[in-house]
Amino acid sequence: MFLLDDLVLRSLGISVPGLDLIWTLEQVRNFANREMYNPEKIKNQIKENRLLFEFSEISKEEYERNNLALMRKLKLAEKIIEMDLGTRNDILGSI
Amino acid sequence: MVRRILRTEKKQAPECKGKYVYCIIRAIEKRKSFGLIGVEGTVVYPLEYKDLTLVVSDVTMREYSVDEDEVEPHRIVVEQILKEYSVLPVAYGMVFKNRNLLQIAMSAGYAAIKKAFILVDDKVELGIKIFLPGEMDEIRRAKCTYDFLMGLKDIAADYKELKLFSSRLIMNTTFLVDRSQTNRFSEAVENLACGYGEIKVQYSGPWPAYNFVDIHILGNKRKGFR
Repeated sequence: MFLLDDLVLRSLGISVPGLDLIWTLEQVRNFANREMYNPEKIKNQIKENRLLFEFSEISKEEYERNNLALMRKLKLAEKIIEMDLGTRNDILGSI
Repeated sequence: MVRRILRTEKKQAPECKGKYVYCIIRAIEKRKSFGLIGVEGTVVYPLEYKDLTLVVSDVTMREYSVDEDEVEPHRIVVEQILKEYSVLPVAYGMVFKNRNLLQIAMSAGYAAIKKAFILVDDKVELGIKIFLPGEMDEIRRAKCTYDFLMGLKDIAADYKELKLFSSRLIMNTTFLVDRSQTNRFSEAVENLACGYGEIKVQYSGPWPAYNFVDIHILGNKRKGFR
């Protein structure tokens, strides 16, 4: 119901941050993305993975597998920041 | 009519070579090369600049990715040089188009480099990481890091606390130690570690003073000469 209200209001160009369910969902999504694709966090995970291997807590194969996945994730995170996907641009501008 | 098709071979662009800088040492005499230990298997050789020597090799001009395999030759060269000389490390991936550009960078940073040499002369960096295998009492945890720091900082010339990148990491500190004090430092680490059987200690080095020198010349971060 609230979602339908929000959709109708949005179509009219009205959005009240905080009361707008879609706005709230977007905030949650953005927060989750920031947490998931935070390059600093990924770099920490890369270092932690290395340390676990050096302390023989994980095998070489496991280390290499994790490292590869984390390196890919880091590249993606850096690309996301570079592309600035979180920013919504008004493509129509002020016509 | 006979059509002749003339094949023109595509002219390949000449491979552009640049000077890769590994580290800076004080002026040395009668040494032509440090061997085939450089990036891409190149010869590492000394290049003089005033009373300093740059340790370089001629490599292909390209973007150097921060990849373990790529970084490895840089690390090996610097560690090899460190065995014989006091080293001022240069950030990974620093390639200069030619000797002239390298000299311009050197002249811009000469004063800062000379100043940094006073700090690193006859010193090496030694790292301590303390890792918890499981849970540890908060008080004992604090006491452990305190004991390590107090027990080691007096032997060292300087120390720096680095980022705790894992929740299990309770100490990540690097020490600048005079070469003559390294044995004393190692003994102290061993004694301290014996007192805390439940922790995992990583004692690493000797490294060049990466964490104690940070000179930026001609730009910032990896694009510049650090």
